[in-house]
Amino acid sequence: MVLSLCVMAPNRIVWNSEVREIILSTNSGQIGILPNHAPLLAALDMGVLKIRSDKQWSAMALMGGFAMIDNNRVIILVNEAERASEIDPEEARKSFQTAQAELAEAEGRRKLIEANLTFKRAKARLEASTIV
Amino acid sequence: MASSSARNGVSRLSHLLSKAAPVAAPSLQSPSWQCPGLAPGELAPFGTRMASSQIVRNRMKSVKSIQKITKAMKMVAASKLRGVQTKTENSRGFWQPFVALMGDHPDIDTKKNIVLTISSDRGLCGGINSTVVKLSKGIFKLLESEEPTKYIVIGEKGKMSMIADEILKNVEFEAIRMVYNKFASVVSFIPAVATIMAPELIAKESEAGGKLAQLESYEIEGGDSKAEVLQNLSEFQFAAMLFSASLENACSEQGARMSAMDSSTRNASEMLEKLTQKYNRSRQASITTELIEIISGAAALEAAS
Repeated sequence: MVLSLCVMAPNRIVWNSEVREIILSTNSGQIGILPNHAPLLAALDMGVLKIRSDKQWSAMALMGGFAMIDNNRVIILVNEAERASEIDPEEARKSFQTAQAELAEAEGRRKLIEANLTFKRAKARLEASTIV
Repeated sequence: MASSSARNGVSRLSHLLSKAAPVAAPSLQSPSWQCPGLAPGELAPFGTRMASSQIVRNRMKSVKSIQKITKAMKMVAASKLRGVQTKTENSRGFWQPFVALMGDHPDIDTKKNIVLTISSDRGLCGGINSTVVKLSKGIFKLLESEEPTKYIVIGEKGKMSMIADEILKNVEFEAIRMVYNKFASVVSFIPAVATIMAPELIAKESEAGGKLAQLESYEIEGGDSKAEVLQNLSEFQFAAMLFSASLENACSEQGARMSAMDSSTRNASEMLEKLTQKYNRSRQASITTELIEIISGAAALEAAS
């Protein structure tokens, strides 16, 4: 039994193939999906999607969206996605550090929310790039 | 036509000839040579004959330049279309899952309705705007209920996410009907409707076993409550649909502009052909008249001597 996984961003299809297992980061924490999962509708946070095809693990950073799982078909719609192989780990680390510094300095509601978002993005990208 | 204008020319000139013929060359500058309505000293060709050919020539020039413009617009639309078409095709994958999950129910019974019409950013693109406007009007009539239906019209690019945000924040609704042109091929586009339901309506329909009964079979994960997830889902769907619909519409716009510009280029060349014929005809007529003038002048001189 395998899962057919399709990850889509508005401008492209990021991933479309059969996989053994995935780990999603939803708004309420990470969940693992194996074949024959019950139908599920999950809201995704900015975070890492881990994918196992046979024994090889790969990762990508997802910038928020939805996952629909039904009948061993996983459809993930996201605002933006980046595969780990496309992220430069050095650059991700640097942007993570600047985002962290900005978050620490941020004042006011609006600024705080914005800084938090950039921080989450940077964190997702950094995690994705360091996993592999 | 040519012969009649030639005849007119002769009759117009006959009085001049009768006066001028007996007089010798030096008197050519005498006022009697001036056409009525022209300032003295102005050396103008006889009558309106030449002026009208000038007008035709100007007309031809302007038609030619218009043709150049429409041709260029067609080329521009064709190259733009290629870019938008790939984007549209990529975005279709994004909206299909929503239709698979929740279906599309334009017939759903709702009180507070919004009709969202997507029009083009620019004109000169055939009938795509009138088709969506007509369809929107029709839907508006169908949706009549106690609560007045609201119209929102979009026609400027690059502001989609902002628009989605504003609508979600400021307008209360149960369902939005989005009217746009679905791109079928370069020469055809189909006015279409997409329905976006508010989260409360989604919850109601799925729980009551209505149109969204199959949504109930899904476990819902993420967020604090089901309502919150549905709210997110509905907003995400709205944004995705708006994105997709505006791309489809942009694609149709370029396609429609291409065919509109193509046909106007063809019209221009037809018009040019007609004008060229007219111009040549009047030129021929004036040559004929001049010949007649010379010959009859010579004949008169001969007769005098």
